[in-house]
Amino acid sequence: MTVVEGKLVESQKEELLTGCEAVAHAVMLADVDVISAYPIRPYTEVMDAVSKLIADGKFFAEYIIADGEHSQFEIVKHASAVGARVFVGSSGTGWMYAMEAIAVTASDRLPVVALVGNRALDDPGAFGVEHNDALTVRDLGWLLVWASTAQESLDTTLIAYRVAEDPKVMFPTALAMDGGFLTHSQHMVRIPSQSLVRKFLPAYNLGDRRLHPDNPISIAPQVNEDWVMEIRMQNAEATKRVPAVIDKAYREFEDVFGRELGNPWLEEYMMEDAELAIVGMGTLAMPAKAAVKRLRSRGTKVGLVRPKWFRPFPTELMQKVLSRVSAIGVVDRDFSYGSPYYGGVLFNEIRSTLYSSKNHPTIANFIAGLGGREISIADMIKMIQLTYEAEEEGKDGQVKWMGVRE
Amino acid sequence: MGKISTLLDEVAEADIKNVEVNYRGIFQKTLARKICKTLVYAAKEEERTGFSYGRYSDAPERNGVPCKYFAVVAEMSEEDLEAEAGAKIEPNDVNVSIVVDDTMVKGVEPWGFSGIRPINEKVKLGGTLLVVSERSPLELLKNVAKKDFPYKIAVVPGKHSFSGLWVYKDDFTDARVLGALARIEPDIVGLEALRKVVPEKLGAEKIDALNDGYKSVIIKSIAPGEGIDWPYSIPTLPKWHEFKEGIVVKSVARGGRNEDYKRFTTRTMRPVIRFDTCIKCDLCWYACPDECFDPTPDGLFDVNYNYCVGCGRCAEVCPVPNTIVMVDELKFENNDSPYHEYKKDKEAYIEWADQKMGEKRVNYPFVTGTGLIEENVKKNDGEKG
Ligand code: SF4
Ligand code: SF4
Repeated sequence: MTVVEGKLVESQKEELLTGCEAVAHAVMLADVDVISAYPIRPYTEVMDAVSKLIADGKFFAEYIIADGEHSQFEIVKHASAVGARVFVGSSGTGWMYAMEAIAVTASDRLPVVALVGNRALDDPGAFGVEHNDALTVRDLGWLLVWASTAQESLDTTLIAYRVAEDPKVMFPTALAMDGGFLTHSQHMVRIPSQSLVRKFLPAYNLGDRRLHPDNPISIAPQVNEDWVMEIRMQNAEATKRVPAVIDKAYREFEDVFGRELGNPWLEEYMMEDAELAIVGMGTLAMPAKAAVKRLRSRGTKVGLVRPKWFRPFPTELMQKVLSRVSAIGVVDRDFSYGSPYYGGVLFNEIRSTLYSSKNHPTIANFIAGLGGREISIADMIKMIQLTYEAEEEGKDGQVKWMGVRE
Repeated sequence: MGKISTLLDEVAEADIKNVEVNYRGIFQKTLARKICKTLVYAAKEEERTGFSYGRYSDAPERNGVPCKYFAVVAEMSEEDLEAEAGAKIEPNDVNVSIVVDDTMVKGVEPWGFSGIRPINEKVKLGGTLLVVSERSPLELLKNVAKKDFPYKIAVVPGKHSFSGLWVYKDDFTDARVLGALARIEPDIVGLEALRKVVPEKLGAEKIDALNDGYKSVIIKSIAPGEGIDWPYSIPTLPKWHEFKEGIVVKSVARGGRNEDYKRFTTRTMRPVIRFDTCIKCDLCWYACPDECFDPTPDGLFDVNYNYCVGCGRCAEVCPVPNTIVMVDELKFENNDSPYHEYKKDKEAYIEWADQKMGEKRVNYPFVTGTGLIEENVKKNDGEKG
């Protein structure tokens, strides 16, 4: 490595941080200019952590407390349009309350980076993880990625800026993190040095789209039906350019920081020669890994696939990885009432992805862990068993709710 | 795939050590967090891995409500440890359950629909309940549920500490507890490793308190069946088809109180009332934020100890000196109506109340800034002299 000795030591600094504190460190290292905040748990944890870094004099940024989530997201949208690197976030119904601003941020192609601390959509009053909040932006042009460890949260935040602000991309990016299990749990996190981050992350440059009196432009005028199809098409085409940028960002991250991140799109755990794959996002990968390990030690050929980027969806890769197995159990930490098969969101995306593959594995679906209900190792083993049974009994498309009092 | 079903029973936790800290919401959160984080740093010093987490369901934390914080350490890779013990609401059981406010031994009710649970609920076979207290293990045992296997109760001398809450001076309870832990379960954390990390993570001035905690902890083995029959039942929650659609639950009828959430385990002190000196001004009844006072036919105000959270507001507003006095909760055995006792035998009640109130009202035995008990300081000073 070509870094000087002092910096190398700094780059290996390790601290015990919550997932949110890890993100706050990444926000500081990314030298974000404007942060807007409005409390809602579990997002509040990152808001606290960022304000503490500022109060401690470690980080200089404009920190604006909004009067509600809608204004909160409007503030960063506008700041981003004038050339500021921004950070924002919310959870559950707070995120929903900001939805109008959230939707236009994507249409306007402003590279806002947001943290979604996944939370149940109240009512009832509940704070635990459910993925429905973040998933609401899946059709709007937001890039959407799930982290599953504190380290991954820090790394992915840096990558999110790099990808979102790439001139070929310019889409807002949401980092989704399981409320409680990841946002509030403290793990040893390697914190890279500022100088390495600077190397990895170029300055934010909107070019001739920057709103400034010297650059007279107007963003998003009234257009009616004369323009909308073309605008949507332009954005749709742009999303197709994202995968290559994501691939490159991960490779360069590894080069600059000297740490392996693995496949950007999905994590494969014990998938070599697997006959059955369990699929799920976020921290449910933890009990899933323990379950897979136990079953592997007894000769059962099972593995885990943990999707990271949900938008853009890695269609071909997912097809390649999952058409190798004969049975798939998709664990959704979300619900989609009245959807095909009355199944979860991830399940239906994966089913659709595999429709054109020659080998049609049996796909079973589990709705689990809603509202922060714990998914235990035993639950995971049970889901694997039920997936095997679905295959044996030819029950493709079977949906089961797990861990419900019934 | 028949094999899998037998595996379900075999889901045993690998060689993972779990520690929990029972603390009072908000007041003691920083303290609990510091204990757990320092423990993980010390484990790292010993080349083991670990992580810490608060019980997320305790959120949003309310003043004094019993909450939990956890530390997990093991000799395995971070990925394996997180797979085995990560993404959990709380551990299935713990090697050591730390209690930083001894009044919590009377039971903990963290939220509605949870029930009042024994403080040693999570302590595993051979594990330890480590309490910061001025009382002996056997005195504490008078409140603790019996278990059907042997475990230990340990006491590190001290009073319930608010250190970590910004308005209070630090009394070094964090270092004292960690010192005691190193003595009880050196496998979880060694004293040497703590000596290395405490100066950086908690402060160099805390080393004496760490050593003192190690030296002064008292450990008592508890046999199966020792302790009390737990008087509270744990509620069974309804199945998905057993309650009304539209998130509708039964509410408290006018004039009633919530049977599903009594909240008295929030209390470290309770108001003791001298009905004989009461001037019936009704200020306590009016001021109590939890509406714990009930007017009586003779114009007095009875207090319902099942619902009193011990905030001290009534004692503050009472205009007659020494008529409402806040007293250490561990001095009491039940939540019976004091007014009924008073009506039964006035003189006996007044004598009882006076004796409970005692002479000293609030007593902090620690010398701020040293983390040592006053007596020890005196002794050390004496030896030096
Ligand atoms: S201490 Fe007094 S004011 Fe506070 S809850 Fe108890 S009875 Fe009410
Ligand atoms: S505030 Fe004191 S004097 Fe007034 S009614 Fe209550 S106990 Fe009696």
